[in-house]
Amino acid sequence: MIKKMKIWQMPLMVVCLVGFQLYSDVVFAHGERAQQAGIRMRTMYWWDVDVSPTKVKVGELVTITGKFMPSSFWPEHLASSEVASFMNIGVPGPAFLRMHSHVNGTPMVRSTRFYRGKEYHFKVVLKARQGGEYHVHPVVSVKDAGPIIASGVWITVEGERPDDFKNEVETLMGDTIDLEHYGMQEIIWFNAFWFAVGVAWLGFWFIRKDPVLLRRYTFIAEHGEAEAGSLISVKDMVVSAAFFGLTMVAIVAGYMWANAKYPNTTPLQTGKVVTNEIPQQGDVLDVVVSNAVYHIPGRAFNFDITVTNKGDSPLRVGDFATAGVRFVNADVLTVKPIDKSDPVSPAGLIVTGPAVQPGETRTLRVSANDALWEKYRLTSLIYDPDSRFGGMLFFYDDEGNRYYSEVGGVMIPDFQNVE
Amino acid sequence: MGYNDSVKDSDNQSQDDARSDMSQESAISTPEQQRRIFRAFDYMLVPVASILLGGIVVFLVALTVGDWDYWQDWRDRRWWPLITPVSVIVAPAVFTYFFWKYFRLPIAATSIVLGYMIAAWVSRYANFHLFADFPMAFVSPSNFIGMAIILDSVLLLTRSFYLQGFVGAFLWGLLIYPLNWPAAAAFHTPLVWDGYIVTAADLMGFMYIRTAMPEYVRIIEESTLRTFGEAVTPLTAFFAGFVTILNFYLWVWVGSKLAVTRWATKLI
Ligand SMILES: [Cu+2]
Repeated sequence: MIKKMKIWQMPLMVVCLVGFQLYSDVVFAHGERAQQAGIRMRTMYWWDVDVSPTKVKVGELVTITGKFMPSSFWPEHLASSEVASFMNIGVPGPAFLRMHSHVNGTPMVRSTRFYRGKEYHFKVVLKARQGGEYHVHPVVSVKDAGPIIASGVWITVEGERPDDFKNEVETLMGDTIDLEHYGMQEIIWFNAFWFAVGVAWLGFWFIRKDPVLLRRYTFIAEHGEAEAGSLISVKDMVVSAAFFGLTMVAIVAGYMWANAKYPNTTPLQTGKVVTNEIPQQGDVLDVVVSNAVYHIPGRAFNFDITVTNKGDSPLRVGDFATAGVRFVNADVLTVKPIDKSDPVSPAGLIVTGPAVQPGETRTLRVSANDALWEKYRLTSLIYDPDSRFGGMLFFYDDEGNRYYSEVGGVMIPDFQNVE
Repeated sequence: MGYNDSVKDSDNQSQDDARSDMSQESAISTPEQQRRIFRAFDYMLVPVASILLGGIVVFLVALTVGDWDYWQDWRDRRWWPLITPVSVIVAPAVFTYFFWKYFRLPIAATSIVLGYMIAAWVSRYANFHLFADFPMAFVSPSNFIGMAIILDSVLLLTRSFYLQGFVGAFLWGLLIYPLNWPAAAAFHTPLVWDGYIVTAADLMGFMYIRTAMPEYVRIIEESTLRTFGEAVTPLTAFFAGFVTILNFYLWVWVGSKLAVTRWATKLI
């Protein structure tokens, strides 16, 4: 009985194992806090991430836009985004169809390279394919480094996918094909044919007047291998030859049939795409960081910045973005979280000091202070091997123009909160 | 078939019950009963062994071939037709020795591959299609049954493992691509998407989002054979054939070491 159980459990176990591999793909979407804090802070800066609309019906489009920049402080021990990167989307399986994906206007059907310190603007268009509530993240997948994830936005898709849901595209030959069901007809007939041939072969050996396995076994055991050849009849030879010949013919015929039906085919397409460059921000300001300290008991991250304003309008610090989390200076900006899980702290940034006037160089104290440090496990920064941070500071002038400046460097933990 | 039915008819339920009370030895004392048990053994062992071994092959393929066989947009001309036949021939090679030596039956490859195909279809349909929601065509398994028939029938016709490898295993590696082409050709239809030439398979890989599988992880169309230009497909096929021969011989040898009589006697 035990032996039998094991036999029947085997295929089940295999199914589970294969399923597990897929499961890890499916649950991925919420791994945003799993990576080391230092890696999240110093890989990609994300800002202006926008999803619209956030409520759609099956078959409708959702557009996700935003900006990112690979950090100049990209960790040495992590593979670089400058080798192979892919503009990706974190969703649980194909609940959406990715219709288009662009970075700086370049279509991102394939992989590319993203360079440190360069600004990139992305736009991804999704079509809702299955009803549900989804936490959708923009992601840049970096070869050998894994997914670099922006904060997610909840999208509600109403309705169920109808049976006649179509995903139609046009081929170069001018045919319209529905990718939801494309090629299935041929796959079914092709497999049915070969299953029938396989069953026929086994049937030929087992559907016989006499029992097969044990009778043959005992015969060989009694008469020895020398006489085993007598178990094979002339009929066996003829039928085997026929199976061999017909199988060869069927393979060749199938190949020719497919070539006749699909005379124009191309190999799978691969190779990297070169992403357009867009004009980068002008030389408006310089920022030098010093005295970066993380106060563990108070969950506050403080640093000094020495700002040189090279523009012609006074500048104030509006927000600080790092690891997908955003700390806002309420004196400068009013920001509302997009949804219940939007990692934004509307009053989490306190800047001590006045606006920096044109031509002036001034030192300001910046304090990012919020429970989000804890929630997004950024407090684990103190366990990082190199204790460095990175982030993006945004400055605003009187007209509301925005200028960014990357900041980063050594961070000293303070275990006693002495300050 | 008729013979089998008549045995069942003549033997009613009460006799079955009576027999179950007897000891093991008396149960096979008459030739008629022995025949019935032998027959039951045929119909038990082959499906069970086939599903069991097929399950092992599913596991083996998941470990060694993996994504090349899961997704239409991985089945390229260079890696899929090389990695897949070399890996899938392992179990048939091990068991071809066993079934031939003890039973003189050329059924190892076909029964294992059939078991594998059934398990693979169940797994793809349940996990990849129903659960993960990919279109079935995008994740349908490749088919190796034609290759299995060739391997088995060559053994019977030549009665030699050496020739089975030389002819059968070579054809096994050579023919995987043309064998599967009727199901695959449609997915190599070119179209233009956002200004790029893509195949239908590439576009499905783009549209049906696999977050954990960014485009660059596909290992396709990479090899030094690129220098041969147009001739890569047949060249890869011949190369796959030769490598499959060597792997076949290796695993038949392993099978011959595993299939010592001690194991077989335990079966009865
Ligand atoms: Cu999420």
